[in-house]
Amino acid sequence: MSKARTRPHASHEHVLDEGVSAGDRWITVKREGIAETLRALQAEGYQSFLFMSAVDHLATPVRPEPPERFELIYQLRNLEAREELRVRVWVPEDDPVAPTASEVYAPAGWDERETWDLFGIRFDGHKDLVRILMPDDWEGHPLRRDFPVGGEVVDFSEDHEVWQTAPEKA
Amino acid sequence: MSTETETGVQGMTITREAPPTDHFGGELLTVNFGPQHPSTHGVLRLIVTLDGELIRGIRPVIGYLHTGIEKQMEALRWQQAVVVTDRHDYLSPLHNNLAYALAVERLLGVEAPPRAQALRVIMCELNRISSHCLWLGTSSLELGAMSMFMYCLRERDTVLAMNEEISGYRMHTSYIRPGGVMADATERFWEMLADFVEKMPGHVDEYENLLTNNPIWRRRTVGIGYLSVEDAIRLGATGPMIRGSGKPWDLRKTMPYSGYEKYDFEVAVESAGDCYARYLCRIKEFRESVRILKQAMASIPDGPFNVDDRKLLPPPREELETSMEAVIHHFKLFTEGYSVPPGDVYAAVESPRGEHGCYVVSDGTHKPRRVKFRAASFVNLQALEFMALGSMIADMIAIIGTADTVLGDVDR
Repeated sequence: MSKARTRPHASHEHVLDEGVSAGDRWITVKREGIAETLRALQAEGYQSFLFMSAVDHLATPVRPEPPERFELIYQLRNLEAREELRVRVWVPEDDPVAPTASEVYAPAGWDERETWDLFGIRFDGHKDLVRILMPDDWEGHPLRRDFPVGGEVVDFSEDHEVWQTAPEKA
Repeated sequence: MSTETETGVQGMTITREAPPTDHFGGELLTVNFGPQHPSTHGVLRLIVTLDGELIRGIRPVIGYLHTGIEKQMEALRWQQAVVVTDRHDYLSPLHNNLAYALAVERLLGVEAPPRAQALRVIMCELNRISSHCLWLGTSSLELGAMSMFMYCLRERDTVLAMNEEISGYRMHTSYIRPGGVMADATERFWEMLADFVEKMPGHVDEYENLLTNNPIWRRRTVGIGYLSVEDAIRLGATGPMIRGSGKPWDLRKTMPYSGYEKYDFEVAVESAGDCYARYLCRIKEFRESVRILKQAMASIPDGPFNVDDRKLLPPPREELETSMEAVIHHFKLFTEGYSVPPGDVYAAVESPRGEHGCYVVSDGTHKPRRVKFRAASFVNLQALEFMALGSMIADMIAIIGTADTVLGDVDR
């Protein structure tokens, strides 16, 4: 596969690990070095920022167990070489903070707002970190695995005071 | 200040550092636009700061159509989740299906058979035509070309009838699934398709007769909403937004999937970077889609339309009556579903709006751990703020219109 042709980023100082998942190349980066690494990758030719998001690994059956509960994913693309690279960052449950990437890549601004909204991971240095999809007064972060499906109060329904699914049963 | 105002209509000279007073030294006006406004293609709310009629700031407020699709998919089995993918970008359900199917197939390590791939291409190109028809109809309606809507919806309805013929459903078809497609095309479908590709180029000529040299249409779109190619890349814009700025980036050509490399077509690209260029791009895409459809019809291979894997797809109905094993497979599939090996994958397709990607994480169970959609509209909407600064508020309608954001896609 052409994807393994160049691997210049393995030399970055913050890179912890690298590999291939189902044909997609990825590297794992230290949390504090993410903005710096992204800046270096941008200078290397990864101009296009596709998306960033998070994964919640709470109670995953995958072995060996992931090192932390949350994982941030940044998907980049080099438009000239037509290569993609995924950057992973592990974020612990008790300190869900990461440096912002919005200074490096403009589209990360909204993606980080979405990640804060849905996962409750804060981004240091983000200028406008407010909820984006959920209402401003929403409590909780819906895409966390311990947030129940159908767990919201339904307005204007007869039993609007009760939860559709009790959180402990979900 | 006055010179800046003059060139500001072109979209580019006024920057964010503009003084917080208006043209006459007074206060800037902040108005609320939407969420229920017919020109926003859904429920988009914009908080617009105005200096007279000039836009000094835009803050999009989204989330009114948020339906928690990514959360719902985590609670569904792999094959059930296909149904949900239809519903977030409701104008291009086939592309949503395809991105999800490609991602799951790559995790499973299977590839759809050639006939399924060709059927996928046919349905996706039909979907592109129907989506562009709705875009052209509604955004020209907003700019005053009322009759366009009738013409475009006529062709869109033909495509929806074909959707119904092949899948039984007009809009949310769930036609493309991991492993192949739902059903083979019927004889009547081929007749409808042959008729459609025969007539469609003439209909595109009709649209062009009404709009391309129409002085009002040109006054409303030429030079409006300028986006340079550097800014388009920086802001992550894709689809007709980046091609209208002069970058021939089309995933069907640059990173082909589902056998697109077999078809001979051109990437629609324009260099002006304004609303009119984006319009011309989509008009070209109509014609290129018809070209692809003709080739795919002529060259469709025979063979199965699904992978022959009983662990992944249910056995044919007639086998259930004779084979105990088929019944067991059927029962397992519809009670537990199939499991996907652990891993994560990102698969992207070129939807009518740009790059539609699907990032899937599997933890080895029969339900996805995480599904994330890289929605083209979500990213393109961020460029709106940049494009509309310094232009007139009436031009904002043209800019939103030609960006072709679908709010179901933005909010998911």
